[in-house]
Formats: sequence, C-alpha cells, structure tokens
Amino acid sequence: MADEEIGETEVATDEEAAHPFFEGAQLPPDAARRLAELEDRPGHKGMFTSDLSVNEFLLIKEVGFHPVGFVMGSSIYHLGIQTRRWSQSQELAKLTEAMYNARELAMNRMDAEALELGADGVVGVRLDVNYYEWGSDTAEFIAVGTAVKAEDGKSYRNNQGKPFTSDLSGQDFWTLLQTGHVPLGLVMGTCVYHIAHRSLGQTVRSAGQNIELPNFTQALYEARELAMTRMQDEANELGATGIVGVRLEEKTHMWGDHTIEFLSLGTAVVKTEGEHQIPVPQTIISLDG
Amino acid sequence: MTDELRQAMAALGAGAPHASSTNPGATSDLSIDEALLLHSIGWEPVDLVFGVGWWSIPWGAFQTWQAGEVTAASDAFGGAMREASEQLRHESARAGGAGVVGVEIDISVHSHHVDVTLTGTAVRRIGEKPSGDEFLSDLSARDFSLLIRAGWMPRGLVAGASFVIAPRRSARQWAAQKGQNVELPNLTEALYLARERAMDSMQQMGLGLHADGVVNVKLREGPLGHNPRIIQFVAVGTAVKLADSGHRSVEPMMVVPLDDPVLAFEAASLRAKPGS
Repeated sequence: MADEEIGETEVATDEEAAHPFFEGAQLPPDAARRLAELEDRPGHKGMFTSDLSVNEFLLIKEVGFHPVGFVMGSSIYHLGIQTRRWSQSQELAKLTEAMYNARELAMNRMDAEALELGADGVVGVRLDVNYYEWGSDTAEFIAVGTAVKAEDGKSYRNNQGKPFTSDLSGQDFWTLLQTGHVPLGLVMGTCVYHIAHRSLGQTVRSAGQNIELPNFTQALYEARELAMTRMQDEANELGATGIVGVRLEEKTHMWGDHTIEFLSLGTAVVKTEGEHQIPVPQTIISLDG
Repeated sequence: MTDELRQAMAALGAGAPHASSTNPGATSDLSIDEALLLHSIGWEPVDLVFGVGWWSIPWGAFQTWQAGEVTAASDAFGGAMREASEQLRHESARAGGAGVVGVEIDISVHSHHVDVTLTGTAVRRIGEKPSGDEFLSDLSARDFSLLIRAGWMPRGLVAGASFVIAPRRSARQWAAQKGQNVELPNLTEALYLARERAMDSMQQMGLGLHADGVVNVKLREGPLGHNPRIIQFVAVGTAVKLADSGHRSVEPMMVVPLDDPVLAFEAASLRAKPGS
C-alpha cells in the first residue's frame, strides 16, 4: 500500500483542450443576447433579474445600488491524477492547482457577464461544486450572483478595473457600508493536502493513551495556514485593509479520507475616506417562540 | 357533512373580520404574523387557491444517445406552467382576490409528462373589487407587505426551464489526456448554455409583463430522477414593477436581539464528513 493514484479518467480531446469554452470578455452569443435584453435601449425597456430576496433587494437600494442582472459562470473541469505517499503529509500541488483554475474560470466568466452589464459589483456570490454521476473525476464549478450598479454614477470597481465581487448577503452588504467600508473582491485560498497515515508502531504506542497525535495536528494546521495565507495574498493584491466573513471549508470531495481540500473564502474590504458614524444598534427582545 | 363540521364552517364564516356576502370566510395558509402584516398595509386574505397544469412530452423526446437540449420538454414545461398560472388566476378572480401571494411551486418532470401544481393565498386590498388583472407571486406575505411598503408591486410569477442531455465522450477522447488538469469545453458549454436558456425564458416572461425587474430568482438544477444523464434547469422568480408613487425607503434599523444565545458548538462540524 505504498502509492495510490487518485482518480480514473475520461478526458477531452487535444483539440478541445486547446480551445477553452470561452476566455476573457468574449461571451458566448446566447449569454450576450440574454444580457443585452436586460439593458434599456430605444424601443426596448429593459429590466433587472436577481436572486436577492425582497429584504436584500430593498437594503441594496437603501445604500444606493440598483441590481442590474443575475450573472453566472461555470466550468466543468477534469481533475488530474497525483501520486500520494501513504506515510507522508504533503500538499498535492496538482490538485490544488485544479481547484484554483476551475474556480477562477467560473469566477472570470461571472465577471465577464457583470462587465457586459456595466456593473460596479456582484453581491451575494455563491461558489458551488457539483458532481454528476456520469463524470468520474469531473466536477462542475459554478459561480452565481447579482450584479449591481451604483445609482450615483460613481465607480466602485477595484484596482484591477473589475467589478467587485462579494459573498456577503444583502443584509451584510448594507451593514458593511454603514461602517464606511466597501468590498473589493471575493478572495480565496485553497490547498489540497494529503494527511499521512499513522504507522503500525505509532498506533500501538498510542493505544489506550490520552496523547496528542502530532503528525495529524501538524498536517491539518499547515494545510489551513497555507489556504489562509493564499487568501491573504489575494487580498493584499487588491489593496484591501481587511477580509470579512471568512469561511474555512474542509471537504474530501472524491478523494477518500486522507486527502482534504481546505478552502478559505472571504470578502476583501477597504475603508472609505471620511468619518463614519456607526449607528448605535437598538436592542430588541423578539416574541418568537 | 356532519353537523359538527357544518357548525365549524359557519363559525369560521361568522368570525372572519371582513366577511362580505359573496365571501363568507377567509381560508388561507398564512401564519398569524403574516395575516397581521397584510392587514397593516390594508390588505386581507381571501381564499386558498390552486392551479394545476399537466402537459405531455412526446414519446422519444429524451433520447439519451443524442446530445443537446430537449426542446420538447421545455415547451411542455412552459405549457404546464402557463396552464397552472391561468387556473390560479382564474380561481383568485372567482374568489374576489386581486392577486395570489405565497405561491408554492411543485414541479415534477416524468419521462412522458410534466406537471406543475401551484398553491397560494388570494389577497386583495380591503374592500376593493378585483380589477381583472390578477398578479401571482411566490413571495411570502411578509415579503409582499415589505415590497408594497417600499412602493413596488408584484406583476407575476415568471419561470423558465431547459433540459439538456450531457454529451458523451468517445474512448479516444477518454484516453487522450489521462490524469490531466483540464477543462471539458463541450460539457461546460452544454450546461452553461442550458442554464442561460432557462434564465432567458424566465426573462422573456418578465419582459412580456412589462416588469421593472425580477426578484427572488431561484435556480434549481440537477439530474432528472428517471435518467441521470438529463439535467434540468429551472429558474423561477417574481416579476416586480415600481408603482407610480416611486421607491420609498424602508428605513432599516440596526438591532441586537436579546434572545438567549444558542450556545451550540459542534466539534464534528470542523471535520470533513467522509464522502462529502
């Protein structure tokens, strides 16, 4: 049981791989047509679509933004193979790269849709991974959110000229703006890590004892640190002063017990100019049961 | 009908606060809070109404050796949705309602038919006669009252669906890049476009209603029960329109609930579950 391979494969042809589905700001015609219909032009009254709840919609209006459209991006990605050593804790760089690339593809496509609508940002972003029965070792990465535009005509795009993205809900977005911060972008860090199995000797020695298992502790600790550092690096690139709403997710996906993806996700924010008076919250006792 | 039941029905009719001669009792699936909220904006529940649409899908529509979109199925979905909405609107008008809120949408797609069931509560402005232009909305009565307060009106329930057969790959494709990190463009395209199409047909319905926007869009997707190679995408939302009075601020307040905190920490939540 020395080395094991992750995954069987079913793969695209060379020609397919050479031509990704779409790149950059070049939207497929169906998507471009759908988004064009949302915009006002002579003889055609546009409208917005959004997955915001009524509360979120009204709160976003309250802080001077208007939803412009429901945007999404997706990518079906085939995850490569990497050899893991039974007794060694290590990052699986190839799988980390796959998880990064696939999410980037989905997010960039969502950004392209938002740019098409002339949006300043995307709120309520959800990043999901879907698996289908028919695709072994393939996963669909999908990003959806609601593109918003500032009603005062000011640009809220980030230092990369892109609309800001944020996984904050409408409620959190409202609260964040009350404190004088604006979101810059959804930042993430990921690390796929293989945690070494314990040797027979270690298992025997620790049987019946209260002891820490340093190799497990260290492996999990290191993997989490790697993911969080990568997230922070992304935030620094955006010139953020902080990251809010960080979530740390740990998933084994389809790799079995000892291989785990550590994903940290948060919204990078920056303090705006000027003083902000944070309103004193009212205290309430709800009458719910 | 037993005497007890008859008495209970009579009591229900007599107890309704805004009972008129044509509509002796209000039946609704609203909670007490929701009924109160409706009254606070000058609306009242009228009756529980429902609509059903049942459309057949032609034989052989789901041929999984082919790839691409199954337009026969999305057409059937459109038809069933239209029929159910029409019936719901008709029932609401008959009950004297101006529209239906809190519509529960139950969609099931089988190999040879699609059925859509819509259930909701017909509502109207207190004392007002229905205008004949009923709206439908899957927003709860709570969301509905918030929307009205902010100067918006629901226009209608909008939905779109698409069904796509996942493309297969040849054995040659299979072996070509074993073990690589690579995007699968043909699959990505098929699913991406199916999602776009579901949203587009929802959007077309909204534009047809001259709405200003669609809120609360829910995108449901997943493999069909009877054939996992077919993936369905359903987008549903409520089209809304700004009333002539314009948008009004809802003046949100920051509050801290003083309810007893829930001190629950699950250590197991930190650990990835096997197979998840």
